[in-house]
Amino acid sequence: MTETVSPRRLRAIFALFACATLLLTLRVGYWQTLGRGELLESATDQVRSDLVLAAQRGVIRDRSGALLATTVPLRSLYAIPKRIGDHEARASASAKLAPLLGTTSDAVLAALESGAEWLYLRRRLPEDTSRAIESLAIPGLGFESEPKRLYPNDTIGAHVLGFVNDDGLGQYGIEGKYDPVLRGIPGRLVVERDPRDRDLAVGLRTARAPLDGADLDLTIDLVIQTSVERWLREAMQKEKATSGTAIVLDPRDGAVLALASYPTYDPAAVARSDPQALMDRAVSWTYEPGSTMKAFTIAAAIDQHVVTPNTTYDDKGYAIIGGRRLSNALGKAYGISTVTQILEHSANAGAVFVGQRLGAEQLRSYLLGFGFGAPTAIDVSAEATGDVRPLAEWYPVDLGTISFGQGIAVTPIQLAAAYAAIANGGTLYRPYVVATRRDADGEHRTAPVAVRRPITAETAATLRTMLTSTVDNGIANGASIPRFSVAGKTGTAQIPSDDGRYLDDAYVSSFAGFVPANDPRFVVVLVLERPESRLLGTVTAMNAFRGIALDALRTARVQPDRP
Amino acid sequence: MAGASWEMHTFLVVSAAIAFVFLVAMLYLAETTTVATRGYEAQRLVQQRDELRRQNSLLEVESARLDAPARIDAEAKKIGLVRVATIPVVQLEPITAKR
Repeated sequence: MTETVSPRRLRAIFALFACATLLLTLRVGYWQTLGRGELLESATDQVRSDLVLAAQRGVIRDRSGALLATTVPLRSLYAIPKRIGDHEARASASAKLAPLLGTTSDAVLAALESGAEWLYLRRRLPEDTSRAIESLAIPGLGFESEPKRLYPNDTIGAHVLGFVNDDGLGQYGIEGKYDPVLRGIPGRLVVERDPRDRDLAVGLRTARAPLDGADLDLTIDLVIQTSVERWLREAMQKEKATSGTAIVLDPRDGAVLALASYPTYDPAAVARSDPQALMDRAVSWTYEPGSTMKAFTIAAAIDQHVVTPNTTYDDKGYAIIGGRRLSNALGKAYGISTVTQILEHSANAGAVFVGQRLGAEQLRSYLLGFGFGAPTAIDVSAEATGDVRPLAEWYPVDLGTISFGQGIAVTPIQLAAAYAAIANGGTLYRPYVVATRRDADGEHRTAPVAVRRPITAETAATLRTMLTSTVDNGIANGASIPRFSVAGKTGTAQIPSDDGRYLDDAYVSSFAGFVPANDPRFVVVLVLERPESRLLGTVTAMNAFRGIALDALRTARVQPDRP
Repeated sequence: MAGASWEMHTFLVVSAAIAFVFLVAMLYLAETTTVATRGYEAQRLVQQRDELRRQNSLLEVESARLDAPARIDAEAKKIGLVRVATIPVVQLEPITAKR
C-alpha cells in the first residue's frame, strides 16, 4: 500500500516555499540596493578608524639657532588591570613599577585596583624610565605617545618663553602670544584597520595632512640671557628682594636680547610653581620708577630749549611746589649746580626746578612721547599699560614729583625702550622678541618698527653726554666699566601704600643705562623690589648692571672705546 | 567525426575560459595580497621613521642641554675655573698705522 501526498498539500508546500523564496529574494534585493549604504556603513564602522593627526608645534630658537623650546612625543604608561592578573600579580607588578615611577608600591597598587578598566599610570615618562618599564615585560601595561614641550635650558628664559599646558595651549610669553601660529592645524586620517589594528593599504582611506606650526627664531641671545639671569639671581639673593627684573635691548632696532624676571619657574613643570612666579615683571608689572625718570624730564626741557646742560640753579636740598616741600635724598644741599649735576647728584630739587621750567603740559606730553602710559606693543603676553594720569588729575605738586619719577607708573620694558630712544639718537622703537617666523609659506622676518621721535638727535646726543658724566663723575660711578664709556642713571623710588601714602622703609632700586655710551649697542635696565639694603639697593643694581653689560660686550666682541 | 571534433573544440574553449578566469582571479588575488603586504611594510617603515625622528628630537634636546651656557658655567665652576676679570684687547689701529 502506497501513501500519496495530496495535490492540495503539495500546492500549499510549494506556495510556502515560493513565498519564502520571494521574501528572501526581496530582502536580499533590498540590502543590495536600497539598504546597501546602511549595510556598508555598519560593516565599515567595525573596521574604520577616524584619527586626528596632531600638528607638530613649532620650535623656538634663539638668535644664534640655539634650541629654546621643542615638542617631542614622550611615552605615557597605561594599564589594563584585568590583563595584569589577580591581586598577587598586581602587587608584584606594583612593586616592580614603584621605584621606576618614583612612588610607593601601595600607590601603584591602589591605582591598579581602583576599578578602572583602563588608566594612565604615568604620563610623558622620561625615555630612560619608559625603556626600563618596557624591559619588565609586565602583561597589561602599554605605552601611548603624547607630545611634551621640552625646554633644554630649564628655567633660563622662562618668562620670555612662557609654557604649554596639558591641553597643548600656549600660556604666557611667546608660547601664549604666538600660540595660534605655533600650534598648527591638526589633520585627519580615516582608514580601515585589520583585526590586529594595523592600517589596511587597500579599501577606504581619506587623509588630510596636518599643517605643522611655524618655527620661531627670537631676538633673544641665550648667552646674554643666561648672564642676565645669573646676575639678577645674585642681586636678588644678596638683597633678599621680593622680586626683580632685568632687560637687555638693542637700541638700534628695539630687539630684546634678554628679558628676565624673578621669582621664576620651570616651564616644563609649571604645576609645581608658585603662581606669583608666572608673572613676567618686565612687561606685566608697573612701579613708580623714581630717579631714572629724571633723564626724560631733562631731555624734554633741553628739547624745548628751556634749559641747557650748563643752566644753573641754587640747590638748597629741597624745593617748594604746590605748597609741599620736596627734598633731595637724605636732605643733601648741593648749592649752585648745573643741570648736568642734577643727574650726577640725582637731586630731586633740581628735577623740580627743571620740571617747573618745562611746565606740566609739556612734561606730560614728552612722557607720552617716550612711550609711558601706553603699551609698547612688545610681542609677549600680558603687557601692562603703566599710568601717566590725565593733566586734569594732576595736583600742583605732581609736576614736582613726576619730574623725579614719583606719581607715575611704568613698566620696566617701557623704561628700557625710552632709554633706547636716548641711546639711538631719539627714535622710539617698538621692542620685539620674534625675529623670524618660518612656516610652509617660507620665512617672514620682523621689520623693526620706529614708533616716533620724541626728541631730536641733538637732544639725544646731549643726554648721552650728561648720562655718561653721571657714571663718570656722579652717583652712578658704580656702573662704570674700565675702557668702556657707560651712560646711565640710578633710581630709588618709594613704594605707594594702599592708603595713598608712601611706605617708610621699602623702596624699588633700579639702574638704567647703555654701553658703549659713544655708540650704544646695549640698553640694560635692572629693577629690584624691596631690597634689604633699602637706599643702598642701587649699589647692588649697578653692580649687576656692570656684570650684565660686560658679559654682553664680550659676547658681541665689542671693542673698548676708551684707552 | 564532426560531432567529436565539435565536442573537443567546445571542451578546449571552455577549458581555456576557465583557465583564463582562474588566472585572472589568481592575478587579482596576488596583486591584492602584494598591495596589502606592501601596505603593512609601509606602515612599519612609517612607524620606524617616526620613532627615529622622535629619537632624533630627543638627541637634539640632549645636545641643547649639554650646550646650555648655564650648564657649562656650572661645570666650569665645579672644576675650579673662574671668570676672567679683564680681557686684553689688541687695538688694530696703531698696528696698521705702523705698517
